[in-house]
Amino acid sequence: MASLTIDQLTKSFGAVEVLKGIDLDIEDGGFLVLVGPSGCGKSTLLNCIAGLEKTTSGEIRIGDRNVEGLHPSKRDIAMVFQSYALYPNMTVRGNISFGMEIRGVDKAEQEKAIQEVADILQIGNLLDRKPSQLSGGQRQRVAMGRALVRHPQVFLFDEPLSNLDAKLRVDMRTEIKRLHRRMGTTIVYVTHDQIEALTLATKIAVLEAGYLQQAGSPDEIYNDPSNMFVADFMGSPSMNLIDGLLLERDGGLEIEIEGYGDTKISLPAPDTAEMRGFVGKPIVFGIRPEAMTDPDGADRTSPQIETRDCFIEVSQPAGSDTFALTPLGGKECIARLRADARIELGAFAPISFNMTKAVFFDPSTTNRIR
Amino acid sequence: MSIPSQDNAINAGSLTRILIYTLLIFFVIYYLLPLWVMVSNSLKTLDEIRGGDMLAPPKDITFEPWRQAWSQTQIGVEATGLKPYFFNSIIMVVPAVFLSTFLGALNGYVMTKWEFPGVNLIFGLMLLACFIPFQIVLIPMARILGMLGLAGTLGGLIMVHTVYGLGFTTLFFRNYYAAFPTELVRAAQIDGASFFQVFWRILIPSSGPIIVVTIIWQFTNVWNDFLFGASFSSYDSTPITVALNNLVNSSTGVKEYNVHFAGAILTALPTLIVYIVSGRYFVRGLMAGAVKG
Repeated sequence: MASLTIDQLTKSFGAVEVLKGIDLDIEDGGFLVLVGPSGCGKSTLLNCIAGLEKTTSGEIRIGDRNVEGLHPSKRDIAMVFQSYALYPNMTVRGNISFGMEIRGVDKAEQEKAIQEVADILQIGNLLDRKPSQLSGGQRQRVAMGRALVRHPQVFLFDEPLSNLDAKLRVDMRTEIKRLHRRMGTTIVYVTHDQIEALTLATKIAVLEAGYLQQAGSPDEIYNDPSNMFVADFMGSPSMNLIDGLLLERDGGLEIEIEGYGDTKISLPAPDTAEMRGFVGKPIVFGIRPEAMTDPDGADRTSPQIETRDCFIEVSQPAGSDTFALTPLGGKECIARLRADARIELGAFAPISFNMTKAVFFDPSTTNRIR
Repeated sequence: MSIPSQDNAINAGSLTRILIYTLLIFFVIYYLLPLWVMVSNSLKTLDEIRGGDMLAPPKDITFEPWRQAWSQTQIGVEATGLKPYFFNSIIMVVPAVFLSTFLGALNGYVMTKWEFPGVNLIFGLMLLACFIPFQIVLIPMARILGMLGLAGTLGGLIMVHTVYGLGFTTLFFRNYYAAFPTELVRAAQIDGASFFQVFWRILIPSSGPIIVVTIIWQFTNVWNDFLFGASFSSYDSTPITVALNNLVNSSTGVKEYNVHFAGAILTALPTLIVYIVSGRYFVRGLMAGAVKG
């Protein structure tokens, strides 16, 4: 087991710069999730850690060892691929033991290791089958078995669950989390699914266009996003980013937002030095759907609940909740109401804003204003 | 999966059906006629052939022409039959086929999984080898064989056919391996497998269909080749195609048509056997990867 440190890493394919100076680290035994939209460089970053791609500049350290120039097999890592990459001509047993065979581990020890892994993953009855005879979930397990058997310093997962159906994905997610708790090995995990990121990680790194947008605990990423990209990307439905105008009124700060038609609503904004710099300027007000509720559903522990009348255009019952769409700042915003909240479409209804959860962004730089 | 029965999809009258079958049977006869002529005449005596009808079945079957063609008839200066030339061809074909198949597989592996700058240019140039007419390379090839001291030997012919086959075998394997998931190679690398371990343990075991296609293709081409055989062999390294030509085109003595027919069938037999035995793999291999299986 070891920590992983990435220092000023860049990677170019010809003239195209894919990673533009990544600084990131994860402590020993941590679970780092790299998340971002397609093409953000997250898989490239993982391949760089694995040694499957050469880095252009910068440093990667596993433990206190610089792995620059080391062959993938010498880095003491194991990788689970998106397509599982099981050797089609070998049985499950052969797949798991292939690495040991190459390293010249003796037969008895190989067999012991295979049994141990098979017990952990409950694939003992599949050992003599070929990958083509396995279901998706079973292949996934075998792929993890092949990684586990190495007892590596770091596990690398490249979107391992994206080929599974929704139900199985949730099951395997739980299993990976359980496995991590049991083994305590450092894991780096790539996904584009932000739910997976939030549920699994001890640390999330959000990447976009080759830049690290934010790295932090799931709670930090979710509640304290450092820019509009992170705020919008994490969470489902995503955060409402509402255009408004910051005004000074009666010595305090207020954000004025256009509502339905000519109506306007004002909400109090935190009075900080940085916020004061934006008085009279447009500002983006970010609030998660669950912080916009019907008054009865509002978080009673919150010290600052503001209730305003908003025009409800559409409602989307989703079983456990009802989502209501209301125009604010020229956009459709989503409020998350209780399932049995009574709302009338095409009319104004009181919506409670939990202002302790509100965040503000500078629309010109998209950065957070604190 | 099979296509649903067409029985009641198109309501064709029995007249159409009769027409279709008549046409099909006609073409079957048309295509089988040359084979019939060859086989039946190779079993006749020379007198019977001279006497008349080429299409008639043999009156009294004799295997003498076959024995003659195989081991007794005069080819060139010696009366050895086609036998030594048949073995010359075998000695030439087997290594040429295996060498070109192996090198093609290696080329395909490198070109798809170990890409280097300019790989597409090199592949393009190798493809060119598939389209260059044989005649163009005759003189340079003769010069190179002379320099290597391989002129007029079976070794020289093996080299010529290996080099000439590389274009096609590389094309086959490159396209096959292009569809082979690179993640498998990466997984093997992480497992610590070396360049050749990946090749032998991961790629080759998954290449069955394309290997069969390449072997059939190369076997047929090398066995049937006449031009290189005629140009680069000497009297003790002549392949069977050239020997057959010498037999049939000899301008002295009586034309023994029955022996010629038997010799021609003997010459064509190995390729026929290869096709019959592995033909279904050929079709399967050509279609491999076309549909997700």
